[in-house]
Amino acid sequence: MLELMQLTKRFGDTTAVDGVTLDIPDGQMVGVIGRSGAGKSSLLRMINRLGDPTDGSITYEGREIGTLKGRALREWRNECAMVFQQFNLVGRLDVLTNVMSGRLFHHGFATSMLGVFSARERAFAIRALDRLGMAHTALQQTDTLSGGQMQRVAIARALVQEPRIMLADEPIASLDPMNAKLVMDALRRICREDGLTVICNLHTLDTARTYCDRVVGMRDGRVVFEGASTALTDRAAREIYGAEADEAFSESMTSTSLDVVPVAAMVEAPAVAAQAAR
Amino acid sequence: MAHTSLDAGTGEDAVSMFEAHRAQLRRDRMAANLLLLALFVFFLGWSIYISRFYPDRLAEGLPRIFEYFASVMPNLELANLFEGRGEDGRAVPGSITYWYADFTKYVVLIGETILMAITATILGTAMALILSFTAARNLSPAPWIGMMSRRFLEFCRGVPEILFALVLVFWVGIGPLAGVLAIAIHSAGALGKLFSEVGENASMRPVDGITAVGGTWAERMRYGVLPQVMPNFISYTLWRFEINVRASAVVGFVGAGGIGAELNQVISFHSDDRVTAVLLLVVLTVTCIDLVSERARHAMIGKESMR
Amino acid sequence: MSAFTIDQIGPEAIAETKARHPGAFANPLVRTLKVASWAVIIGYLLISLHLFGVWDLFGRADRALQMVSRMLVWQDMETWNYGHIYWGIAQTVAMAFLGTLLGTVFALGLGFLAAKNTMPIFVVRHAVRRLLDVFRGIDQVVWGLVFVRAVGLGPLAGVLAIFVSDMGNLAKLYSEAIENVERKQVEGVRATGADGARIIRYGYLPQILPVFISLSLYSFESSTRTATILGLVGAGGIGMIIIERFRAGLFDQVAFVVLNVLVVIAIIDWGSGRIRQRFIGERAH
Repeated sequence: MLELMQLTKRFGDTTAVDGVTLDIPDGQMVGVIGRSGAGKSSLLRMINRLGDPTDGSITYEGREIGTLKGRALREWRNECAMVFQQFNLVGRLDVLTNVMSGRLFHHGFATSMLGVFSARERAFAIRALDRLGMAHTALQQTDTLSGGQMQRVAIARALVQEPRIMLADEPIASLDPMNAKLVMDALRRICREDGLTVICNLHTLDTARTYCDRVVGMRDGRVVFEGASTALTDRAAREIYGAEADEAFSESMTSTSLDVVPVAAMVEAPAVAAQAAR
Repeated sequence: MAHTSLDAGTGEDAVSMFEAHRAQLRRDRMAANLLLLALFVFFLGWSIYISRFYPDRLAEGLPRIFEYFASVMPNLELANLFEGRGEDGRAVPGSITYWYADFTKYVVLIGETILMAITATILGTAMALILSFTAARNLSPAPWIGMMSRRFLEFCRGVPEILFALVLVFWVGIGPLAGVLAIAIHSAGALGKLFSEVGENASMRPVDGITAVGGTWAERMRYGVLPQVMPNFISYTLWRFEINVRASAVVGFVGAGGIGAELNQVISFHSDDRVTAVLLLVVLTVTCIDLVSERARHAMIGKESMR
Repeated sequence: MSAFTIDQIGPEAIAETKARHPGAFANPLVRTLKVASWAVIIGYLLISLHLFGVWDLFGRADRALQMVSRMLVWQDMETWNYGHIYWGIAQTVAMAFLGTLLGTVFALGLGFLAAKNTMPIFVVRHAVRRLLDVFRGIDQVVWGLVFVRAVGLGPLAGVLAIFVSDMGNLAKLYSEAIENVERKQVEGVRATGADGARIIRYGYLPQILPVFISLSLYSFESSTRTATILGLVGAGGIGMIIIERFRAGLFDQVAFVVLNVLVVIAIIDWGSGRIRQRFIGERAH
């Protein structure tokens, strides 16, 4: 169980995350929704400790996470994998090495500096790629892949960490609808099959409804909605999105329900992605 | 330049305002240029005075330059050009063998010079590689470490290698080691700065990615940054190697090994064809290495832009 | 619930994956080559350092320590003859300035003679280029020594040394800049019906002038650095003072002089950066 208590993050005068308190049981798929700038990214980055909390605490199975340092901190990051909107892969390395970099925590100084990975790790990485249907690209240079392929490689890298929790920060905001569906399906499957806790920042409402067990709505750094995704009424959504609510509802905005996406929306999708990327 | 008048009914006001503004700009620019010119002339006069670069001294010196260069030219005769050594082991005057009587000695020294440059480049690059990561503002593990690394690199590249060589000869004695270390230190400073600038322009996303999997600082650099910057690093290193070959031919002037000591000896104590013999060999070596290394660099850059 | 862990990967799983993706596993040949190339580099380094006598470094550490401590403790500062020191520094800067200026003037002509698009005659172009190779291939310090032999000790030899090597460097860089001139802009000017001189004035000059100025300023910066060491061979400037006091064992004064030179070089770098910005920044728009 991951518990957040009054978690707060300030950048100078602005408060990005404002006293967030949440309990997330193991194996749940949680969608965090809200407008851009609502503090979703800051929240996720704090959980992985890419950003330090200004106030409040993060505990996982009774362990305090917020104050970890050195090796213990790296162990936590290894346990709590993260997938990014821009994939954050190393473009000039091949796909396999990128995936195997997920094993770095288990390496000593010499083997990691020399880039020596065992046959077992290689086989494991190939299997992870296989689960995402990407094994055929293992020897390609990563920056020759498309965005959707890169995101699946990034998930494979997260998988070889053997994590307990997987954080996904806007994993589909830069992808076209078809790849978005592939990525979300993969995350959902990992949650179900491996029993991983998945916490996923999403820009759009429908994706959260379709894939998540539970939805957390954020606005201006605060949690304004929390409950099962079926309980997410139109009124609650209006509370979360404010003036942008209609836009968030609009079917053309959904990048996942492929069957209902009209052609015009598919043309529009990159523009939406670009907006989200900002 | 004549300016055309576009009379599209915009009114006389806009035109005259533009003209006034333009005149103002021109005046400002003229004033600044005049100031710069005055400074330049002043600096020129000051320089001539301080370095005593007067016409009479120049007039006196110039003929001596030509005399000197005439005296160091080899006295080759076409008839004897390819004459080998005679039976008594003496070379025929006017032949290449006579000109290059000490050829094997020069070749050994040039070999030593090149080896010095290679060793110094490897050492300097290794040092620059590590220090560039600690010195780059976005990669440095802590601000104070970055600060210290940058100051240290500035010191290393600020002091000319021949001064380091002077000091090191005093420490380790006459010989190539002093030269190797001096060149290594100086090129670590120069390369470290270039490397860290490349690092500062690298994308931080892959670094974030490696942080998120629980990588140490060294692993972040090795996997997140190094693959991005490697082609630039190699190209800079080759370029530095070219410079180091020249440098290692000179550090011998203060006793730090290589062909420099011979060069110094020949130029200072003899004014005959031996001067051109050594100089020609040095120029040939440097030019050849430049050509090969330049090819390699262009091939690398070409491969890079093909991607 | 089937957790996905590395513990599930046994020997048979490895063998099976290997059969499907042979390329993904370390190739013994490639690995051997990699190890061998590293071994060659490290072996070369160790052997060459051993031949160069790296052990002297540790054997004589006390000597170095003594020298460094004397560099750091400054004694009898009132007897240091500062006038002499600052005159030497000023002379160094003046030498670099004059040398670069002369080099620039001559390189302007030679640059056009060495560029493909302005000198179509193959023989002339290549003769000029080989001459430039000689000017560049010989280090400035060697030129210094040569000119000391020719015109005697003093700054004149230094100015000539800087002049010759800067001329070689700049002419090569200038000719490259001339070759990189964009043809379209030149043709644009030609299309307005301009004559030869105007084509050069409006077609070539706006493109190459900022590059030329920038290159010459860089050359001035690097010449001030090298001019400090020209004195080591007697070609004037601060180097003569440095070597004189070093030989006399006055290490504290050497440290002081070098520190001052570094500050002066930093100031010159800053100033030339400002000028460069002014010229290039203005003309780029």
